[in-house]
Formats: sequence, structure tokens, C-alpha cells
Amino acid sequence: MINQQLAEISNLALVVTIVLYVLALIGFGADLASSSQRRSDARLAARERQEAEQEAQPATVGAAAGHTSGTTTGGSPDSADAKGVADAASAGDVTDPAGAEHVAAGTMTAQRFAFVLTSAATVLHLAGVITRALATQRVPWANMYEFATTSTAIVMVAFLAFSIRRTELRALGTFVVGPVLLVLLLAQTFWIVPAAELTPSLQNSHWIYIHIGVAILATALSILGAVVASLQLLQAKHERTLAERAATEDFPEHWGRFGHVLDRLPSSSSLESLSFRIHSLAFVCWTFTLIFGAIWAREAWGRFWGWDPKEVWTFIIWVIYAAYLHARATGGFRGSRAAGLALAGFVAVIFNYTIVNTVINGLHSYSGL
Amino acid sequence: MSERTTSQDPREKSAEPGAGAESGRWSSKPEVDGARAAVPSLGLRGTLLFLWRQLTSMQTALVLLMLLAVAAIPGSLYPQRSVNPALTEQFLDENGRWGEILDALGFFEVFSSPWFSAIYLLLFISLIGCIVPRVGVHLKQLRAKPPRTPSRLTRFTGYTRVELPGEQADALIESARRSLRRSRYRTEVREERNGRSVSAERGLLRETGNLLFHIALVGVLVCVAGGSLTSYRGQVTVIEGDGFSNSLTQYDSFEAGAWFDESDMPDFRFTLEDFRATYVEPGESGKVGEPRSFEADVQVSTPGQEDESRTVQVNKPLHVPGASMYLLGNGYAPEITVTDPEGTVVAEGPLITVPMGDVGYTSQVVLKAPDAQPEQTAVVGFFLPTGTIDEQGPRSLYPDAVDPQLALTVYQGDLGLDSGVPQNAYEVDLTTLTAVPGEDGDPVLIRLYPGEEYELADGTTVSFDGLRRYAAFDIAHNPFERGILVSALVAVGGLILSLFVPRRRLWVRVREADGTAVLEVAGLARSDDPALETDVKALASRLAGAHDGNRPPDAASSGHPAADADGGHREGSAQ
Ligand code: HEM
Repeated sequence: MINQQLAEISNLALVVTIVLYVLALIGFGADLASSSQRRSDARLAARERQEAEQEAQPATVGAAAGHTSGTTTGGSPDSADAKGVADAASAGDVTDPAGAEHVAAGTMTAQRFAFVLTSAATVLHLAGVITRALATQRVPWANMYEFATTSTAIVMVAFLAFSIRRTELRALGTFVVGPVLLVLLLAQTFWIVPAAELTPSLQNSHWIYIHIGVAILATALSILGAVVASLQLLQAKHERTLAERAATEDFPEHWGRFGHVLDRLPSSSSLESLSFRIHSLAFVCWTFTLIFGAIWAREAWGRFWGWDPKEVWTFIIWVIYAAYLHARATGGFRGSRAAGLALAGFVAVIFNYTIVNTVINGLHSYSGL
Repeated sequence: MSERTTSQDPREKSAEPGAGAESGRWSSKPEVDGARAAVPSLGLRGTLLFLWRQLTSMQTALVLLMLLAVAAIPGSLYPQRSVNPALTEQFLDENGRWGEILDALGFFEVFSSPWFSAIYLLLFISLIGCIVPRVGVHLKQLRAKPPRTPSRLTRFTGYTRVELPGEQADALIESARRSLRRSRYRTEVREERNGRSVSAERGLLRETGNLLFHIALVGVLVCVAGGSLTSYRGQVTVIEGDGFSNSLTQYDSFEAGAWFDESDMPDFRFTLEDFRATYVEPGESGKVGEPRSFEADVQVSTPGQEDESRTVQVNKPLHVPGASMYLLGNGYAPEITVTDPEGTVVAEGPLITVPMGDVGYTSQVVLKAPDAQPEQTAVVGFFLPTGTIDEQGPRSLYPDAVDPQLALTVYQGDLGLDSGVPQNAYEVDLTTLTAVPGEDGDPVLIRLYPGEEYELADGTTVSFDGLRRYAAFDIAHNPFERGILVSALVAVGGLILSLFVPRRRLWVRVREADGTAVLEVAGLARSDDPALETDVKALASRLAGAHDGNRPPDAASSGHPAADADGGHREGSAQ
């Protein structure tokens, strides 16, 4: 029996969750914008000091640049000095990853505000998922709506788990909360269905716990992996640009709008190894999804594999991720090209989840729409 | 494997020393001969070898994997004949010439098309060509001793050097060896010029797992192929109260692999005693009329066993030795009796109707009475579990038999059964038939409730005597299923080993000078291995601690002012 009251509470909780995520996203966005502002201020200040140095020549100017040698003898400063200045300017950002530089501890910064909101929203999000499960007395993943709310809840929990200890990862808030919010909005507007009992094809089978549970885990890992792989690509581009500019400019501008964010993140090679670890787990989960799905299909339809569109796309996802793992071990494909394959895998995940569920008709009555 | 590959990835080179060395030879050849002569000089055998190496290279595997993914896409976008033949025909009808072109290219049978098959066969040939040499190399490696300790350890990960005055080199080495053994390293103690060292290695399981994974994939493919040659699958429809015994003639449709042997079909029979369905009722949550449960009670008898009552449900198939039975469909079988104008009963009993796919289970009725006189007769129309007839015509509002009724029209003429073309029992060609008119001259629409009878002007009668349900089952067997499952599970097992077992080498060296033992420890990661550095340091501190009154390595220097200026404990880690 469906407990309608609980079902309504669940709905309400998720709507409020969405509102909180919107506010959190604004907070994260403001944080990005302000740290961008701080960075360009710092760069400007560095340049002004540099110019002051040049003008003040040959007077002693060491004080202006703080720790740099400051003994400029020629008309132009040598490039080592210039870098020293730039480094000093960026040190503030790097050493205080919480983005709270110049702000006393305990003060509410945009990022801290966003993070607190995000945590509250995640708790509410989980509450929404759990009340849905209680209302229907079954696992909260029997249709697209529930799949979306549950898997995004897992993404958020994983993000909080990572970023509670490593505060520098909180700068990623925008990139995690953004997609999650998008999925929740889609779920709440297009995929929402009333809380209901299971259709016969989903009943009587523990495989709904195992197969779909693992699929949710795999999807959540794919989402996280895609976020990390995209950042890896951006970071690699950023590093290349910085290296090029450092060769020609005294004050290398950061690449693109997010250069200052990328400055705070780990190097592209450590992002690559993080991405690899996430994707290895994801690949194992996808392999289990395939195997358990095949076992369930045999129990339900009498054949373990029938090239149903959903099966085709899970196969495609699996093959692309296998190609990604291969690419990492193939000369000339490591790094950015492999990351490209990981993202291709993610595109297939999205396709499988949206188009295949809604547009292409197959045996999988799963979408519940 | 090209020169580029091996030189950029030292891991791979050492994993496959044979391949690495050979690729060096091949790629250096054009430089010697000059680019012009490169290919011809290989000769036939050389060219084949060259192609073989290309096929079994990592790049080729990568490209083939991507091709496989791309080639599978049309299989989900176009209807597939093997999955949904009706939809395929419809698509062909609607798309004319374009459909024909796609059909010729195999887009409606993607997964058995020549191009798809070519890709996966090449992939698996490449896979086998890749595995076989690697198995050889790996077996040799399993028997080989860990490689000798490099002379300079400073460049390696977690390099730690500790001076331990008054320590015995032999005792240190022995406890290092024991400690590494306990952590499941393979170890080898070596005498060196002025000291001894332990070289240790762990994680060969990683490569074992990787090989297991790839071999198991071949196993999956072989078992799938075996299954498609030997399996069978058929559909049966059984009305409540009726029975079924497992023989080819009883099936509505049946497919089997080329090596299937009819005599292998298990001997079993069953009677469908009851079929129950429940639906979402008005007022309940969910879409009204959506099914909630389907259950079929069957009485099964297998040779040598007592009869058993079992309930087959969706997701709960019935397994008998050698076959499984799945509940995949259901519908209504109204009992209809037809008498011709001469008073002869020409049709009697439950008639299987075909649900049209709407929520209300509006079902099509086609009844053919070829023996009716003076003309052959067909009764065509609908069975409505909860019926209504309005401007949209007859339809059912709810799937359960709340208000069951028949809406029928009687046709007479030639059923076309003599043409020799086999006919679908659930379809009738109306072009050679005419509807029996009523008094006003229009075709009569007969509406019947259970227990009612209708008599047409010409004396034909139709009666609706009762209602039963039927269940549709698939009966299938694939002798290779177990093999596929086992291979797949071995594959994941191997995969997990291959992805998560770190492969590493570790070295401990002790030199003695002036009564002081100098301990050096370092490691080399041969896979992603973030824990290596801490593990190396932990080992060093354990060794130093255990042999120096349980003090951590830093303490070793503080208590001994004679230690060198750096504090007696120098740390350096490369990379
Ligand atoms: C049937 C298609 C194949 C699939 C699905 C597949 C899948 C995989 C996967 C998932 C991995 C990652 C596991 C790991 O890193 O240990 C892997 C690794 C590997 N595969 Fe395959 N593979 C296939 C065919 C091949 C072929 C044809 C070759 C030979 C060229 C090959 C050679 C390798 C090697 C050498 C590794 C280890 C890479 C490393 O050192 O990390 N595989 N494969």
C-alpha cells in the first residue's frame, strides 16, 4: 500500500532541495566570480609594483616586491624576478583553498555559505529519497524519476564526502551542483510519476535491488568520472597555455574564465589518475550491471541477451569504457585522448538514460513514463 | 606494437619484453633499408608477420573496440528483425527505397551483419594473438626471481636511508626478508660487494588477473556461439483447464540452433489450472488499469516425479530439468458457439483473442468456420473485458472482466483456405467475404453478454457461453548458459585483480661500515600505486625501529652525535 502522506512529504522535500541547490549554485558562482576578481586584482597589483620598480630605478626597490631580490639593474627586469612577483600574488589563492583569504575564520564567505547550503540540501535530498522508499515500501529506484533522484543523491553524498576533508575540492561545487540540479529539474518536470507499487515486470525479483542498485552506482561514478575527466582536459589545456605564455610574457594571463579556478585544482596528471581510479570502479560496476542484467533478463524473459535497445546501449557504454582503459595503456593515447574516450563513455551513459528510456521503445518498461 | 608505444610506456614494455624487442627490430628495418624498400623486402612471410603484428597491437585493439561501439548504435536506432519483426516490416513499408537500401546493408540485422561480425571476429583474433605470447611471458616471469637490486636506489620512490650504529647487517636483512614475505612479496636475498640486499616483488597477480580477464572474454564468446548452435526456444498458448506436453507440434512457434536435436527436448507436461491478474483499481495510486500481478497455477508432471502444483509468475519462471518456462503473455478466451443456417455446430469452445495493446485489453476476435454451409463463415470483432460501444467504436475501459462482452460481425463467403498459402489463425482476409446484413441492409453488429445467443436473419446463431483466460509461455533452454555465466564471473574476478592489485618492486639494502649498518629502502611502482611511498617509508621505519630499541628512524641519529651532519637520516625520493 502506498502511504500518500509520506509520498507528498517526499515530493515537498525534493522541491525544497531544488530551491536550496539553486541558492547554493548562486553561492558557488559568486565565489568563482569573486576569486576571479581577487585574482585579477592581485595581478594588477603585481604589475603596478613592477612598473613602480622600473620607474624607481635605480633606487632600492626591494621592499615593493617583498621577498624578491629587487635589484634590477637593466631597463627590464629579468624574467625570474617577474615570475617571483606573479607567484607571490597567486600564493594567497593557492594556500587558502577555501577561498577565505583576507577573511577571518568564521566569517561567512560565498563559498562557505554555498557549502553549508549544499550540505543541508543533500540531507533533505536524502530525506526525500528515503521517504519515497518508505511511502512505496520498496527501493526508491523503480522508474526514471526515482533513478534520477537517487543517483543524484549519491553523487552529492560522494562530493560531500570528498570535499569535507579536502576543502580545495569545494571550489568544484559549481561543476557538481550544476549538473545535479539540471537532472533534478528534468526529473521534477518531465519524469515525475506518482508514488506507486511495482509493475509485474519489476516485482518478485531481488535483481531489482542488485541490478539497478549497481547501475545507479555505476551511473553516479560515471558522472563524477566525467566531471574529473573534463577538469583534467581543461587543466591540461591550462597548463599548456601557461607554459606557452610563460615563455613569452612576464605576467602570464590565466587561460579562459576559469583559469583561476584551475590554479587551485590539482595538476592534470593527478586529475588523470583520480579519473582513472573513478573510471576503473565505474567500469567494474558497469560490468556487474551487464552481468546481473543478463541474469535478470533470463529470469524474466527467458533469454539472457536479446539486443534490446537498453541492452545495446549498456553494451556500448561498457565497450567505450573498455577502450578508455586500453587507451591509458597505449602509447600516444594516454592523457587527453584517453580522457576524451572517458567522456564519450559518459555521453553514451546520458543517451542510455534519456533517449533510450523515452524515445526508443524496448522491452525495458523501466522508465515508468 | 610499434616502437612509439613501447618507448612511451615503460610499463608495457616490461610486461611484454618479447614484443618490445621485436617491434624494435621491425621498426628499425626501414631505416636500414631505406623507406622505399621497406615493404617489398619483407617478402610474403614477412608481410604476413607484419600484418599479424599490426592486428595484435594495442592500437588496433583500441580502434576495433571503438568500431564495435559505433557499429552497435544502428542496432538500437533501427528496428531489428530478430527482436521485433513486425516493426521492421512496418519500417520497410513506410520507407520504401531507403528502407530497401538499409535492409541490403544489414541495418535490420546489425548484430548478425557481416560488418558487425567482422569487427568482433577481428577483435577476438587480435585478442587471442595478444594473449598467447603474454601468457608465455607471464609464466616465465612467475618462475623468475625478482630482478636484482639497482646499484643506485636514490632515484626510486620513497627512498629512505638510515644509519644504525652497532647493527648486524645479516639480522636486518633477515628481518626485512621476513617482513616482506609476510606482506606477500616474493623475495630474493643477494650478496653484494660490500653488503647484502633483498629484492622483492609483489603484484604479479595483476597481470594474472588481466590475462584471466581476456581469456574469460574468449570463453564468453565461445559459450555464446555454442549456445546459439544448441539452444531452442518456443512459444505456447494454453487456455485455463487445458494442458500442454512438450513436443514440437504443440508449439505456436519454435526456433532452434543448427545443432539442436529434437530428441534432447525434455519430456514434461503441465495443465494450466488457473490464471489470475490484478490491476490498479480506480482510487488506488498508479495508473488505473495498469497491471499489478500475473499468476499462473500449473500442475506439472515430469517423468519419474510426482505431479507438482506450481505458480509461474513474471520473474518467477518454472524450471524443469532441461527447460525453463516463462510467463510472458495472457489474454481472454471467450467460449463461443456458432451454428450455420442448417443448424450444424461449426465452431465451439474457447477462442484465443489477441489483446490490441491498450490498457483496457480490447482484444481481437477472429473465428473461422470453414465447414459452415452453405457458405464458409467467419466471425470477426472484439472481446471487451469491461466494454463500451460509443462513437469511437467498441472498446474496453478496464482490463479486468468486470463487464465482459463481445462485439461481433459475421461474414460469409470464401475463407481462402484452399489457396495453399498458410494462414495466420488470428487474421482473416475480408476481401472475399461479405458481412451478413440485418433487416435494414447494413452489416449487423452483434453485442453479446455471457450466456446470450444471437440469431441472424439467415438462421446463423452465435452464442457467448462463458469466459476463460489463457496464458502464453516461452519455453527455452540454452545448455551453454552456465558456461557463459562462469566465464563472465571469472572475467570480472580477473578484471578486479587487474585493476586494483598494485604491482611494485621493493628493495632493501644494508651495508656495513665501521660497525654501523646503513639501511636503504626504495620502491618502484609498476601501476597506479599511490600507497607505495608510505609503504616504503613504513617498512624503513619498522626495520630501523625493530633493530634500534623500537625507536623511529629519526631517533637513531639524535642519540648518536657521531652520525653525519644531515642528522643521520636522509630522505630522498625521486619522481
Ligand atoms: C574483446 C575485447 C577486449 C576487451 C573488452 C578488453 C578490455 C580490457 C580492459 C577493460 C582492460 C583494463 C584492465 C586492465 O587495465 O588490466 C584491458 C587491459 C589490457 N588489454 Fe584488453 N580488451 C580487449 C581486447 C584486447 C586485445 C585485442 C588486446 C591486445 C592487443 C588487449 C590487450 C590488453 C592489455 C595489454 C591490457 C593491459 C593494459 C595495462 O597494462 O593497463 N586487449 N583490456
